[in-house]
Amino acid sequence: MNAIYVLIIGLVVAVIGYRVYAKYIDSKVIQADPKRMTPAKMYMDGVEFMPTSRNILYGYQFKSIAGAGPIIGPIIAIQWGWLPAMVWILAGTFFIGWVHDYSSAMIAMRNDGASFGGLSHRLISPRARIILLSFIYFYLLLIVGAFGAVVVNTAVALKGAPMAWLFLTIAGVLAGQMIYRWKVDIIVTTVITVVIAMAGIFLGTLAPSNQILGDALSNSRWLWAIAAFVFCYFASVLPIWRFSLPINYVAAYIVFLGLFFGIIGIFITHPEFTLPAFTSFEIPIGPIWPIMFVTIACGAVSGWHSIVCSSGTARQLESEMDARPVGAGIMFLEMMLALFALIIAGTIYSSSSEYAAALVKGPGGVFAAGVGKFLNAVGLPLDYGKSYGSVMMIVLAITIMQLVVRFMRVATAELLSDISPIFKNVHVGTLVASALGMILVITGWWQYLWVLFGGANQLMASLALMLVSAWLISEGKPAAWAMIPMFFMFVTTIAALLYTSYNLLIVKVLGGALKGEALIGNTLMGLTGIFLVIAALILAIEGFKAFRRFRTMRGQAAPSGA
Amino acid sequence: MAEKEKKKGGFFQSVKEFVYGVAAHDSARFALKTRASMEHLFILITMGDMLGVPILPPYYSLRLLPYVVPQISTWKRRMLREKDLTDGLA
Repeated sequence: MNAIYVLIIGLVVAVIGYRVYAKYIDSKVIQADPKRMTPAKMYMDGVEFMPTSRNILYGYQFKSIAGAGPIIGPIIAIQWGWLPAMVWILAGTFFIGWVHDYSSAMIAMRNDGASFGGLSHRLISPRARIILLSFIYFYLLLIVGAFGAVVVNTAVALKGAPMAWLFLTIAGVLAGQMIYRWKVDIIVTTVITVVIAMAGIFLGTLAPSNQILGDALSNSRWLWAIAAFVFCYFASVLPIWRFSLPINYVAAYIVFLGLFFGIIGIFITHPEFTLPAFTSFEIPIGPIWPIMFVTIACGAVSGWHSIVCSSGTARQLESEMDARPVGAGIMFLEMMLALFALIIAGTIYSSSSEYAAALVKGPGGVFAAGVGKFLNAVGLPLDYGKSYGSVMMIVLAITIMQLVVRFMRVATAELLSDISPIFKNVHVGTLVASALGMILVITGWWQYLWVLFGGANQLMASLALMLVSAWLISEGKPAAWAMIPMFFMFVTTIAALLYTSYNLLIVKVLGGALKGEALIGNTLMGLTGIFLVIAALILAIEGFKAFRRFRTMRGQAAPSGA
Repeated sequence: MAEKEKKKGGFFQSVKEFVYGVAAHDSARFALKTRASMEHLFILITMGDMLGVPILPPYYSLRLLPYVVPQISTWKRRMLREKDLTDGLA
């Protein structure tokens, strides 16, 4: 099949989903009201609660949810064939993805902008809040591990990437200095720093890491893992304006331009899918159900979005009518991004064996090769395009990773400061978070790490949908449109996490297949998976008790604040 | 003609806002959050007794009160609102 048809099918699904299904839910079920005061207006503090233009929120929402997830998932999942991957991306977004994002924003808006901790306490039980927050901590650990593995694999596989990464860091730090200290005009700053970052990509092609460091060092996973965590360390301990934010600012232009011209390149080349539509129900990482459904997380449904929607976007929407375009609309845009990644993986290799050989080195290499090919169609030299793709991959992963490490530092201090005051120290907190992440990156198998991350991510989504269902029942509104996706995601993700943890702990660890350092990372991954399953099951029990309670109360007043 | 120009301006304005949203909105939010937390810490030190945390003698609080009045309702709401781990992420 031609890639253009895939994009057209995606567009049709997005239009029907957005204009028919989402519109029906928004107007008939939720009954979004343009006259109702939103938390952004009611509690405006000029900081978190601030009415913001819908167009700005499109950009903010897209930037916040579209990391490496929607790109890597489809690249790995095409091992089952491009057809099941495409069907899941389309159906997942149509029936679950937008429902999850939109309703997460809406539930927070209708509950005074409360975040998930407060909502779970109010709607489910006090215990639910504690379990949900500890679940989120381990979920974040898996994000650091999975995205860290992407950074390391890309730096090892593509020798031009480290130079580009270094220049991007320099450009970002310079941007922070120019904007906040030297007060240089923002346009001048943007032009200078983006040009420096682009020059780094070009230099990466001239001076790859193996020429500078030698083969042994440039292929060392340890070296790039340390580099990634040193990067995150600075992002965590330095003031956020000095390191983290300006790097994200420069990186946004790199990613945005790459995606824009890459999609134009697809239209110019309109390639045919060369990989098979369907391969097998079972591949080395697992069976199509449940593993494929968690391998593609962000492009179909992702729990990360619920955190962004509830704690970020919902507090900035100036009208309830904006929840559908921002929450649902941007999810459909992310679906198109996942299709873009699927097209890359499915069309650039002439055979399955060629694709398999490339994937062994990590999905970053596949993505970079695809971006190189499609940017070549708009006139960029192939080597430069590939280097550009590799830095895009690193940027997409590390911008989320640095934010999560910074956040885990704060969470570690809160959780462990009762044990010893030393954990309040920013350096100690960062080192604890980095060390846990690094164990996973160095010693875990990246494909299982990705599946565990996807499982945790979508389990988070089903927990968010559980909160939404509890709220809908408490309000006496139809809840099936959120409950059915919740059941499906809950069963699928629990099955995926149990399957992966069983494989890691029983087959690999106890079976004696793993030795040395691999034993540590894979055991930690397996135990994290088990912990997440137990936490989710307890939450489910609490959730069902809440459903029953609300059903008996239906017709009476909703709980306080609802 | 004027309507056409308005439409064109509207489109470019939308694109400009979208790019701002992608690239810089987060930075602006974090900068505001940092400033707000510093200001709120200051108000807590000077006006803490409003929340039951007596810190400065009332004389100094009264001297500073006129400067703090515009922010008191926002400050109280932010200080007393329930926060959790997810607030730091978005």
